[in-house]
Amino acid sequence: MNAIAKDVQAATQPPSLELVSEVQQFYYREARLKDRQDYRAWLALLTDDIHYWMPARVQRYRRDERPPSRLDSAYYNDSMRELDKRITRLETDTCWTEDPATRTAHLVHNVEVEHTENADEYRVHSISQVYRNMNEDEEHTLYCLREDLLRRVDGQLRVARRLLTLQQNIFMNKSLNVFP
Amino acid sequence: MKPHEHAQPPQDYSRYMDLKEGWVDRRIFWDEAIYERELEAIFARCWQFVAHDSQVPNAGDFVTTYIGEDGVIVSRHTDGEVYVYLNACTHRGNKICFADEGNARRFTCNYHGWAYSTAGELLGLPSEHAYDPGDIDRTQWGPRKARVASYKGMIFATFDPEAPSLDDYLGDYRWYLDAFLDNDEGGIEFLPGTIKSYANANWKFGVENFIGDAYHAWWTHDAGGRAMMGGPFPPYDPSDTFQASVNGHGWEFALEGVGDIAILGSQEVIDYYTAQRPKMAQRIGELRARLFGSLASAAMFPNMTFLPGIHTFRTWLPRGPRKLELRIWTVVPKNAPESVKQAINIGCNLTFNPAGTLEMDDGENWEGNTRTNRGWVSRHEKLHYGCGKSRQIEHPELPGIVHEGQFNDANQRLFYQRWADLMNAKSWSEVPQRYTPRYAGRPTR
Ligand code: FES
Ligand SMILES: [Fe+2]
Repeated sequence: MNAIAKDVQAATQPPSLELVSEVQQFYYREARLKDRQDYRAWLALLTDDIHYWMPARVQRYRRDERPPSRLDSAYYNDSMRELDKRITRLETDTCWTEDPATRTAHLVHNVEVEHTENADEYRVHSISQVYRNMNEDEEHTLYCLREDLLRRVDGQLRVARRLLTLQQNIFMNKSLNVFP
Repeated sequence: MKPHEHAQPPQDYSRYMDLKEGWVDRRIFWDEAIYERELEAIFARCWQFVAHDSQVPNAGDFVTTYIGEDGVIVSRHTDGEVYVYLNACTHRGNKICFADEGNARRFTCNYHGWAYSTAGELLGLPSEHAYDPGDIDRTQWGPRKARVASYKGMIFATFDPEAPSLDDYLGDYRWYLDAFLDNDEGGIEFLPGTIKSYANANWKFGVENFIGDAYHAWWTHDAGGRAMMGGPFPPYDPSDTFQASVNGHGWEFALEGVGDIAILGSQEVIDYYTAQRPKMAQRIGELRARLFGSLASAAMFPNMTFLPGIHTFRTWLPRGPRKLELRIWTVVPKNAPESVKQAINIGCNLTFNPAGTLEMDDGENWEGNTRTNRGWVSRHEKLHYGCGKSRQIEHPELPGIVHEGQFNDANQRLFYQRWADLMNAKSWSEVPQRYTPRYAGRPTR
């Protein structure tokens, strides 16, 4: 059996309720850490070889659609090094735009867990919703389709890959200061 | 009233500024009537960036964009030429093409099916027998075409038949553009993907920031700068830094050669350009080889801006006086190894897009600049643009109107002077020449 066939077979094995619940609890904790802006604790939920990726969205006719490439412009195209720089910016005490702080609510919906051919890794589809309220009264809600690869490291779940498909053609805000 | 029939401008726009004293009236960032005049006197007249060659390499390749608020299709036809024409059907005016980019043999309107070629000609109508002979002359009913010209791979268009040639419009700004577009024999290319975003800000705030606001970086971007460079921006030292302005276009820069490249945070990119530098100096001269890569920012009038060393390139599309659409691309040297292109892409996006560690702080400022004009009293106040009024110099090598010192409002004052010149002019022939070209009629490299 080749790798793809094995992967397909693994994906069709239904996940246990325990596993689904564990993944959901993991996501809720991740969301809470972001809403509390405890970003160092959040980074600890990602593996050292994380790829955190939100490519540019371009509107094409169906016949011209193509999957994103790593060379595409991207909102996020980050390894741990880049993510760390983003968090470092927030820790400088001179990050004027985050003071007063942005109010956020991170929600995770439609969680679907799939086994992979690797027993320690799960592919998880979900929808990430982030509500933001900034400055006096500015509101913005963001929806992304999210495809994660979760890996069990020393018994704990970690995010190893995250692909975010922004469900907006034009990003309808001046800044993207959250991690969907 | 047809476009480009020359009516008297509705008012004298010079009264919104005194550039000798150094102030600009806030109403130009808010007023609807002033914005309407901008659409006519600036956007329907000036050459504007529409695409780079690398975005439309093959016959049928197209992108859609805007000239002012006029949607246009930019497509490469089977004859190899790029055509730019209104993205609006001549039948009932529906939008013709709804994609941002792609490849098409023709464009067919959704409403009744009128079909247009990639050269912007009306090719055919469904059920044509419904039309009697004499009802329609198809050759006369293509969408309105813009004039198209390019400079070193950058494609520009204007709807004004009286606009000067692109070379004259750019003038000696070409000398500066060469440092960005032509510092290597392969030139530049655009990486795939466009980042598009809205900000509730007047379009001029984005452009004036790139044309000559080095000053804000030290304060606005302190946090981002520390994160990217491991420490604050070095203390401002005006020596060997300049602002240069040509026809309202501008470039502010140091000459240390690496300040902006370093912000990308990639040793591989620094090493690549360090190795390139001697070749670059041979190609564009020692001075321009140091200009490229330095702490710098630049803008071509009216709404195209870029950071040469950070490799971000963008246009600020007006969406009314209080909103803009920003479109962003990453530019790379075409002949660079793929790993260098990817390192540039990652560093450029990490810093300069709506999620970028530096850019994230800019949009907030420009929305604030715009929104406070809601107040009737605020709106009638002046803004200070007086920094560096007496710093103009003649430089042996640098063309255009040159001021010493990177922290300076000179390029912004000259941007607003060009703005007022165009707003007040009935036609291009009334727009004054404000500098003495050194390269008129000859190449700048
Ligand atoms: S509006 Fe386009 S075909 Fe009628
Ligand atoms: Fe900035």
